[in-house]
Amino acid sequence: MKDACQRYLEEPEANQGHLAVCEQCRALFDTLGLSVEERPVSVGALPLAPWEGASHRPWPLVAGGALLLFVVAIAVCFWAGVPPLRVVQSSLTTMQNARGFVSGAAIALREASLVVQVGFGLLFVAVNTALVVLLRRAPRGIDA
Amino acid sequence: MRRPVLLLAIVAALIVTAGIAAPPQDESLTVRWVSLSTGLAMLQRTAVILSLLFVWLIAAIVVTLMSAREIRYSSVELRASALHCFALGLVALTSFVLTAIVFSYFPSVIGVPLLIALAVFAIVAKIYGAIAVFHALGTMIAGARSREALDRRRWLRGDLAMVIVGVLLLGALRLIPVVGTIIWMLASVFGVGTALATKFGRREPWFLAWRPAES
Repeated sequence: MKDACQRYLEEPEANQGHLAVCEQCRALFDTLGLSVEERPVSVGALPLAPWEGASHRPWPLVAGGALLLFVVAIAVCFWAGVPPLRVVQSSLTTMQNARGFVSGAAIALREASLVVQVGFGLLFVAVNTALVVLLRRAPRGIDA
Repeated sequence: MRRPVLLLAIVAALIVTAGIAAPPQDESLTVRWVSLSTGLAMLQRTAVILSLLFVWLIAAIVVTLMSAREIRYSSVELRASALHCFALGLVALTSFVLTAIVFSYFPSVIGVPLLIALAVFAIVAKIYGAIAVFHALGTMIAGARSREALDRRRWLRGDLAMVIVGVLLLGALRLIPVVGTIIWMLASVFGVGTALATKFGRREPWFLAWRPAES
């Protein structure tokens, strides 16, 4: 393989005229089943892919964002007189409320009439059937 | 045919979720002046929200460092089919509540372990989904539109930066008294939906398709 052929294979856009003059490369492309008439793909013209530059880790931004939020949170907590334990307490209270609601609903259901219980059963089956139907659809984000 | 069914499912799930979240009450809506104690309560609420936002930020950084690709896939799915993610999230949250009630209905020997498993699954879906929403929001607001713009940027590029931007934006919106809570709840619905739609970013089917063996 000549240097010009090598250069063309490495950078087809920069050496577009090579294919017109090199019999060897045209034969190679024919063997591979690639059309020599097609223009090479211009990578720069393609839309930006989601993964491009995605692995970049800007640590100053991460540290700055975290520090900013930390300082603001501490300052407001100090100003409002909220101890750190209150934050944990607030989350636990939310969980306890949810648990209380579910228990209360279960007790109410147990004491309800048969018609209500059957109605709840039908609602449960209908919602879960809808969930299964929606889950069966394949994700299409990358192909969209 | 699919679209009307999807819209009906959304409306039905909205009614059920709204009925559960805010049962009808007789109290009429009255406008009150903000007293000192109300102001202090609002300030304390803001402090709690800011502290929780900091926890969210740390969780988002850790999860993004551990599985950036999965978060990105879920974020792309959310932006590509938002309506489907929203419908799925609403139906899933309704299903979680109804299933929890059914599990509580069972004897505690069976019901409590099932409830714990359901709670863990729901919390994982909520956390993962929220981080995917942060990424999607960050990408929509601050994502590079072209390769040149991406190359010019030093800090505002990559999954981690998009997640940070998303947390700070959604966190700022969360601080608005009533609207913030609604926005955060909507983000949770979208998040759970995208987490389940992409199977936590793995893009695998939830159910195996049955196919008869070829002879």
